Amino acid sequence: MLEAFKAIKEKHLEAKRIVEEATAQAEKLMNEAEKKALSVYEEAYKKTLSQAKQKATDLKIKATKEAEIELAKFLSNAEDQAKGVEAKAKKNFKKAVDSILNMILQ
Amino acid sequence: MESTRVITEMILEEAKKSAEGILQEAEKSAEDLLKKQKQRGAQKANEAAKILLKKAESEAELNKLNSVANSKIKTKWVVLSKKETWIDNVLKEAKNKLKIMTTTKEYLPILQKLITEAGVILGGKDLEVLLNPQDSALALKLDSIAKKITEKTGFETKLKLSKEKLEVIGGAVVRTANRKVIMDNTFKDIIRRREKELRSEIAKILF
Repeated sequence: MLEAFKAIKEKHLEAKRIVEEATAQAEKLMNEAEKKALSVYEEAYKKTLSQAKQKATDLKIKATKEAEIELAKFLSNAEDQAKGVEAKAKKNFKKAVDSILNMILQ
Repeated sequence: MESTRVITEMILEEAKKSAEGILQEAEKSAEDLLKKQKQRGAQKANEAAKILLKKAESEAELNKLNSVANSKIKTKWVVLSKKETWIDNVLKEAKNKLKIMTTTKEYLPILQKLITEAGVILGGKDLEVLLNPQDSALALKLDSIAKKITEKTGFETKLKLSKEKLEVIGGAVVRTANRKVIMDNTFKDIIRRREKELRSEIAKILF
């Protein structure tokens, strides 16, 4: 009978040690997680913000490219207009000179 | 003896289960904590990101509008500049033709007319006529011109050719004998006075 109690007491102690070890390990896990939490927070913050910054840069680049395309269109249109101006001017040059001379001499 | 073995095994089994439960719960808590922190970080950054993106959108739109407005101005300038060049060319050519004309027979009556007009504007009386060296050598009928001015103004007019010479392509400067009033009727000054009107007329004809 005494042997039985002794054996049960030993196993109780062993069981207590197992639970204590697990508790200690759990505390260690939680401590490590708490330590890691700040860097995880910062990492997530930086990552999201960095993505937003990239998106902002892309937006600006896109707007600049669109403006450049507009400029090219305007310039092409202006060149066409300038060619038209030149053609008309060449055609009416003599008439304009004569008219001006008349105005000056009248 | 058998029952003791069963009891001790049960004790150990129970302890192992408890230990496993404690560890699993700790792992889950740690995992939740990190997950929550990650979410919090992203959420906080999202707030800043929203402001950043809104600002970037406004800036991009504003830059685009500015750029487009500048482009429009630039293109208008290209066309206007081309027009201005042609208007200048016409004026230049007109001046060349005037210069050539001063060497022809047609010029003398024109010069006389310019002197007459200037004399009438000054109101006649004693006047002095200034010309360029080339025109000074022309056979100007100053008496006849003075007569015309007298007729038009009602004042007896005398014209005298000044020794002072002008550096102009043609036309005349007429001034009162006391030099207080001057009428510049040189081609240069006529063009200057009427430049706005001339340029407008050239533009109408050319374009």
